[in-house]
Amino acid sequence: MQPRRQPSPAPPPPPPPPALRPGAPLLALLLLLSLRGAAAVPEEPGQSQDAGPSRGLLQQAARAALHFFNFRAGSPSALRVLAAVQEGRAWVNPKEGCKVDLVFSTERYKAEESTFQEGEEGLGKCSARVFFKNQKPRPAINVTCTRLFEKKKQQQEDYLLYKQMKRLKAPLDGVSIPDSHGHIDPSLRPVWDLAFLGSSYVMWEKTTQSLHYYLAQLTGVKQWKTDDDEIDFDYTVLLHEFSTQEIIPCRIHLVWYPGKQLKVKYHCQELQTPEASGTEEGSAVAPTKLSNF
Amino acid sequence: MQALLVLSILLGAVFGKEDFVGHQVLRISAAHEAHVQKVKELEDLEHLQLDFWRGPTQPGSPIDVRVPFLSLQAVKVFLEAHDISYETMIEDVQLLLDEEQEQMVAAQTRALPLSTDTFNYAAYHTLDEIYKFMDTLVAEHPDLVSKINIGKTFEGRDIFVLKFSTGVTDRPAIWIDTGIHSREWVTQASGVWFAKKITQDYGQDSTFTKILDTMDIFLEIVTNPDGFAFTHSKNRMWRKTRSTTPGSLCVGVDPNRNWDAGFGMAGASSNPCSDTYHGKSANSEVEVKSIVDFVTKHGKIKAFISIHSYSQLLLYPYGYKTEPAPDQAELDELSKAAVTALASLYGTKFKYGSIIKTIYQASGSTIDWTYSQGIKYSFTFELRDTGRYGFLLPASQIIPTAQETWLALLTIMEHTLNHPY
Repeated sequence: MQPRRQPSPAPPPPPPPPALRPGAPLLALLLLLSLRGAAAVPEEPGQSQDAGPSRGLLQQAARAALHFFNFRAGSPSALRVLAAVQEGRAWVNPKEGCKVDLVFSTERYKAEESTFQEGEEGLGKCSARVFFKNQKPRPAINVTCTRLFEKKKQQQEDYLLYKQMKRLKAPLDGVSIPDSHGHIDPSLRPVWDLAFLGSSYVMWEKTTQSLHYYLAQLTGVKQWKTDDDEIDFDYTVLLHEFSTQEIIPCRIHLVWYPGKQLKVKYHCQELQTPEASGTEEGSAVAPTKLSNF
Repeated sequence: MQALLVLSILLGAVFGKEDFVGHQVLRISAAHEAHVQKVKELEDLEHLQLDFWRGPTQPGSPIDVRVPFLSLQAVKVFLEAHDISYETMIEDVQLLLDEEQEQMVAAQTRALPLSTDTFNYAAYHTLDEIYKFMDTLVAEHPDLVSKINIGKTFEGRDIFVLKFSTGVTDRPAIWIDTGIHSREWVTQASGVWFAKKITQDYGQDSTFTKILDTMDIFLEIVTNPDGFAFTHSKNRMWRKTRSTTPGSLCVGVDPNRNWDAGFGMAGASSNPCSDTYHGKSANSEVEVKSIVDFVTKHGKIKAFISIHSYSQLLLYPYGYKTEPAPDQAELDELSKAAVTALASLYGTKFKYGSIIKTIYQASGSTIDWTYSQGIKYSFTFELRDTGRYGFLLPASQIIPTAQETWLALLTIMEHTLNHPY
């Protein structure tokens, strides 16, 4: 269970890492840290990586930053994925954790099925500072990205998605998105995008220096309420944690309205201990953990 | 309902050709005890030849009866006269039987690909369908392809390897396996495509013909049959084998942590519930041991390629230690050439390097063992994509994935051919 540091309803951005606050102590700290070993790794996509752990760390930081960015943007039509890390520096402090400054490019997360498209067009650019506290989750993130889409257009697309979702009836039980064959029904695409948005929050919080996640599948819809203005979406997903290769079921409950900050509650199942009951399909428990509600 | 229809057919066959043209099945609603009695009276009239599928018992319980064409009018008049409501469940029993017959025949013909030319490579298939494909391919190219049974899985399924050979005695060989992790569906699907591709290109493509004229190719398409069946029946995300572990309720061992190379060291889990559980000992998994025995017995495998998904990576040893492999430089250069060839088709970008540096520390992995056995060209692929769909790669991407991967495989095979050792 993670302690919540923000009980207030409006979710403030996470406090900037200590190193960002101005002052002489900061300078001293930076000098000290740089003496410890700053690894600057210029990165070109497609290159052979023999750069060791640094490259992996930069990737981790980029992913975490993007999850956080997507969550904070709160826009299911403007989701982004990592294209490539372009440059980065990492400072490792064995006592505190590590700080990563990086620049990376992004592309649009259009869950397109057809022949694989590597979109060179429409690449966005982000710069981020990510602070991983020693193997603890919920990295502190400061990230800014260039606009991929014109603000008005993004709002329109969100509103269109919103309208599509309002029209969807809730016979969404038993649904798996994508299905076993990787197919997503076009009418359910908005549901998937919204699920991905909520999952971004979860994946941001759970990412550490060594753990990173992908959204594998939406496995069930417990509730899909659209009668109020907001979309009230209670669902279960499977997250794929890469370094352990585990599949983690999570129950996520979100409330969304275009332009408003996304509200998310979630609960993920922990890995079973050796003596535990070996059910592969664990049912996700009702959310007990408050996040930014 | 189906069972009853089939039973009727059987009875018809036994008692001579009976047909059911114009017969109807009525569902009678007997609201009162009096109605039930009336229907029982009907039952006693043998000349009507009524066949009660659900007999009259008590008010409220539906009564289903098959009524021969000639008795229809009489029965309906009787029911209506006594104010007993009914509905027609089946308008024409024979029609339904004919449809069912058609479906059964169609299903059977669907199950057997008429030829590997009509097999759908752009779709994911079941274990049975893939095994049937293999038999069909062997039947079509008996001089080129044969099927070898290398063992039985934990749950008793056959483990098959296809051998492609233009020679008589065992030549130096290339080994390719797909599907060792069952949820990585694009790999088994690609394996099926590779099998077909080999039979198409031999004698057509000069480079490939040279390869197969000198070396044999072994292709194990479903390396983890139990796991694969499980991904179809119960859990699409299943990775491991399906062996049971005494003392634990958790099932399965990670077959890519079960090999005898750094077994049990950091880079695998000792928790049976974990997806990277290494098993109680090296080669404890019959799926792994079968390959170990085969490779050892063969003795002349020169390139060993194990195919996984996802991440778009080409990897070489080691996974369990950071120390560079003695052939690192050559493997690195060959990897670069292979991913370049791969990218030439659709622009798909692959990264490459040793397992431990490129993906993560992994102990007991396949190619660490094969490399330790002297198989210099030991590689692991991680195919499409990089996380957008992950294991649930859309079927529409199967063929492009297989096509581009084949170019990388050709690069490795050609290098192996030109650098005998």
